[in-house]
Amino acid sequence: MKLLGYLFWAVVASVAAFCLGTIALSRGEHINSLWLVLAAACSYATAYRFYAKFISARVMMLNDERATPAERLQNGHDFEPTNKWIVFGHHFAAIAGPGPLVGPVLAAQFGYLPGTLWIIIGACLGGAVQDFVILFASMRRDGKSLGQMAREEIGKVGGFIALVTVLLIMVILLAVVALVVVNALKGSPWGAFTIAATMPIAIFMGLYLRYWRPGKVLECSAIGFVLVMGSIFAGQAVGESASLAPVFTLSAMTIAFAIILYGFLASALPVWLLLAPRDYLSTFVKLGVVLMLAIGILFVRPELQLPAFTRFTDGTGPIFAGKIFPFCFITIACGAISGFHSLISSGTTPKMIAKESHAWPVGYGSMLLESFVAIMAIIAACVLQPGIYFAVNSPAGIVGATPAAAAATITAWGFPVTPADMALLAHNVGEQSLFSRTGGAPSLALGMAHIFASSGGGQAVIGFWYHFAIMFEALFILTIIDAGTRVGRFMLQDLLGHIAPPLGRTSWMPGVIGTSAVVVGAWGYFLVQGVRDPLGGINSLWPLFGISNQLLAAIALCVATTILLKMHGAKFMWITCVPLVWLVSATFTAAWQKIFSPIPAIGFLSQADGLEAALRAGKVASPAATETLIFNARLDAAICGVFMVLVAVILVDSLRVWAGILWGAGERRVHEAPFVASQLRAEEL
Amino acid sequence: MKRLGRLLLAILRELADENAYQRHLAAHGATHSGPEWRRFSEERLRAKYARAKCC
Repeated sequence: MKLLGYLFWAVVASVAAFCLGTIALSRGEHINSLWLVLAAACSYATAYRFYAKFISARVMMLNDERATPAERLQNGHDFEPTNKWIVFGHHFAAIAGPGPLVGPVLAAQFGYLPGTLWIIIGACLGGAVQDFVILFASMRRDGKSLGQMAREEIGKVGGFIALVTVLLIMVILLAVVALVVVNALKGSPWGAFTIAATMPIAIFMGLYLRYWRPGKVLECSAIGFVLVMGSIFAGQAVGESASLAPVFTLSAMTIAFAIILYGFLASALPVWLLLAPRDYLSTFVKLGVVLMLAIGILFVRPELQLPAFTRFTDGTGPIFAGKIFPFCFITIACGAISGFHSLISSGTTPKMIAKESHAWPVGYGSMLLESFVAIMAIIAACVLQPGIYFAVNSPAGIVGATPAAAAATITAWGFPVTPADMALLAHNVGEQSLFSRTGGAPSLALGMAHIFASSGGGQAVIGFWYHFAIMFEALFILTIIDAGTRVGRFMLQDLLGHIAPPLGRTSWMPGVIGTSAVVVGAWGYFLVQGVRDPLGGINSLWPLFGISNQLLAAIALCVATTILLKMHGAKFMWITCVPLVWLVSATFTAAWQKIFSPIPAIGFLSQADGLEAALRAGKVASPAATETLIFNARLDAAICGVFMVLVAVILVDSLRVWAGILWGAGERRVHEAPFVASQLRAEEL
Repeated sequence: MKRLGRLLLAILRELADENAYQRHLAAHGATHSGPEWRRFSEERLRAKYARAKCC
């Protein structure tokens, strides 16, 4: 039996190696997406079975005889021992955001290979390890947050920096995801109507749940889903209506202000009315679509049209400028490793774990599944014809504002596309134009629609599936915007409450309105900056988001390394130190290049200098707009610098603590809760 | 298959906070009613949306 087990895992590992070798070495011919699926699935299985098991048994020494906080502090509220697969589903739903969908789509500008390899390797050795170790650490500390653990294990500076970093990241995150929605909906009456219809649907659900059928969340969400599907069909009619289509054909700036207003209302209105019902609905839709996409890819097994590498590995990419190292890594971000996951792993999840061994599938396994979502996103992007992929994702400021100019530029890059191809595609999916729809969402929707339509229905249903995918992306991005604005408001009220106590009261309406306006104003500013950017905004905002997210992961890995060092000395610190060193190298290089690169397409300062020179020479059409662009480029550089300084401080602080531990001068005590024997039988859950 | 279906339903109920509501009723010895759901829901949602959502 044991021999059969060895044989089985030898076969799985060999298939992983063979598939990885095939996708890495294949050149000049289209490869089937199944190679990527198999390479990822077998690599994940091998890493889960051997590496994660090694970490849980030898490093963390997970012990099911030890009572978890869920058992010891059970209160029928947030501390509750829960079946491990339920916790798995809960944790995965919490960590799955738009990052692993959008990042890989953008990174596909380098070709399918760099992104695919980083998603698989980064998740197995970095992202899943981070999530797992932080979950374990929080579970052993009564469910403490990352900030609390940073304060206890490293020092007060670490805790404060973690808080400030999260607040700053949220501002950038909300702006960039809002920009993704703006670019997906601009000039699209079908899409704009569908998303607008989700607001009254969410309010109806809120009222239904509060007054008509209290507690029936699943029933209410099912009704909401039917109504949203109905709104997609109604959106098609609106898009084809001569009188209604112009009403819902909105410019990017109009949509941006509509989203800003929505974020403000959702933050200030009672949470049960809009935010919560929308969140329930988007969670179910998100999980359903991920499952559908997995089934669709397995069923259709599409061929990848993008090559392994494109010419843009030299750093001249139209979607974002910069070479594979470091920009592929910070663009993929959440698909391989995400700092935000450490907040979830030290949030609700550790309070639900019934047995310590459950942290293995929940912490490590959930991140592998998230990484698989990123693989599916890269497949969806790469099944598009390269010419179409670049026509959709390249900003007009680079390829040209007219279809003929854009098609000529992209064809000259070696990716043939014609205005007629694009017009036909736009017509088939019910859009007016698909040129320069930057942000990743429209190309992901096109890829998903292609896969779903190939499963049955063909071109007749591709328009429906395209708008279904747009609805899915926009629905849960808007949920992040409203929830994020609210969280930002709470953080700000918490801080301001120390200065003026009424501002800290979440029930004091002037305080609520004022702080909501400040938070919305902060991310709204960056959103408007992105909309006005002649290069589409994604070029500057997505790298900022990627850098900030990866720096948060660096903070989490600093905490994790400190804990491992205190537990075992230097013996196992490589487990978190290796991904930490990689992250710091990639992220600091990216941040440095984004600030100081002499190439204007990359460096914010050289971009500002170039614009200033043009302004002084009188070579710009609008001096006022150019002055704003100059200010924004310098602001982006300053934000990038602040991120670098914040993380450099926590790194130095961590190094100080590590040196103290290794040389015997520092405190080695871990701040774990004392051992209590477990009385719980997990199989009864 | 039946077990898988039950597990999936349990995950959905957890995501929908319906399991948490049942735990709340049990912990407080209360029975289901509109006001009780609203009390639970307000407390639950206040805690839920004080935390950052993942990207």
